[in-house]
Amino acid sequence: MVYRWLRDLHLYFGLFISPFVLLFAASVFYLNHGKLTQGTPPPADIYRNLQLPDGFDRVKGREAAERAKTILPQVGVSGEIGFLRYIASDRHLIFPVSKAGLESTIDVDLDARSAMVTRRHMGVWESLSYLHKIPGPHNPAIRGNWVGTRMWRWFADATIYLLLFISTSGVYLWWALKAERAAGLLLLFAGAATFSGLVYVIVR
Amino acid sequence: MSSSAKALEVWNRRVHYYLGLYFLFFLWLFAATGLMLNHQQWFRDLYQRVERSYQLPIATPAGDTVRAQTRDLMDQLNLKGEIDWPASQPVWHIDFNVSRPNGAAQVRVDLNAKQAYVREFENGRLHAFQIFHTFSGSRFNQPASQRDWIVTSLWVWAMDALAAGLIVMVLGSYYMWWQLKKKHALGFAMLAAGVVGCGVFVAGLL
Repeated sequence: MVYRWLRDLHLYFGLFISPFVLLFAASVFYLNHGKLTQGTPPPADIYRNLQLPDGFDRVKGREAAERAKTILPQVGVSGEIGFLRYIASDRHLIFPVSKAGLESTIDVDLDARSAMVTRRHMGVWESLSYLHKIPGPHNPAIRGNWVGTRMWRWFADATIYLLLFISTSGVYLWWALKAERAAGLLLLFAGAATFSGLVYVIVR
Repeated sequence: MSSSAKALEVWNRRVHYYLGLYFLFFLWLFAATGLMLNHQQWFRDLYQRVERSYQLPIATPAGDTVRAQTRDLMDQLNLKGEIDWPASQPVWHIDFNVSRPNGAAQVRVDLNAKQAYVREFENGRLHAFQIFHTFSGSRFNQPASQRDWIVTSLWVWAMDALAAGLIVMVLGSYYMWWQLKKKHALGFAMLAAGVVGCGVFVAGLL
């Protein structure tokens, strides 16, 4: 009974996360071996007469990101704000906004109430790699400032939890097949030896 | 079912769990560290990093290139890891950073004074564990970066092998599922949910 339930859950959860696993696995090759070629800088679009919130000289972190978000619909951009850079000398606010397929950089002149927006399109591999790395460890104070990132984090977490379930249930399902125990144990120990050997060589 | 189709089915199933068993510990490492990377706030207080600074005399480094000279300096300073050079070097200096999961060092070498100024960091176990996830010695958005430590290349080879293994396992699992006709309907619903859920992000809709 337990075996049948586990086998079905292993199958159905596996099918659900399989596109995510393929994305995370395929993007590894680009992250490890790919190189982004910098082409000519994209042309900038200028937006004027913007309604700008104040206080960028005072506020930081999540509050600054929330204020910067009010600029995005006025310049036709949506996505995750990567970081915020306020330049006090000329009162400019510069921040990148990303989502799979597009990275925009917004340079706001707070006094002139105008913004210069450059849009750089990502290729498929860069988009997959972007999704692989988001939300990631950087700028945790403002990370998840876009609904898309929050939802992706949910899916990424679900993929991890289900992968842990699937791998554990997979061990149980394999152990139930008595004829495969010897070969399976050999591979399990070979994998453990490779893993621990590599870790040892790296940290020794 | 023909004998070749039967053999394919048997071997496909075997490859699925043999790969799964071989890569089990790698998979658990990348799963756990993936969770850590996406939820820094859960682990921030658990990270430890010990820093120490020191100064050592060095011999003039041997070698014709900055890379060879850096390697010689690392041998003299007993440092190991991936090398990373700053965009520009001060005159009569060789400055570089060395990193690996359990630590890093910022090294500033004054060739005239024959002195090395080292700022060394030792990462705690949890921090080191997390760094294994991203330890590739190369950044796709920094074209100049490249691997220069053979141990990193071995680790990257293991990452590639895991990724290839997972792709084979997923594709093989589709075949196994398709052989189970009673599971088609619910299986298709789950797969479709995954494809749509993943697809909206890949397409940049979210």
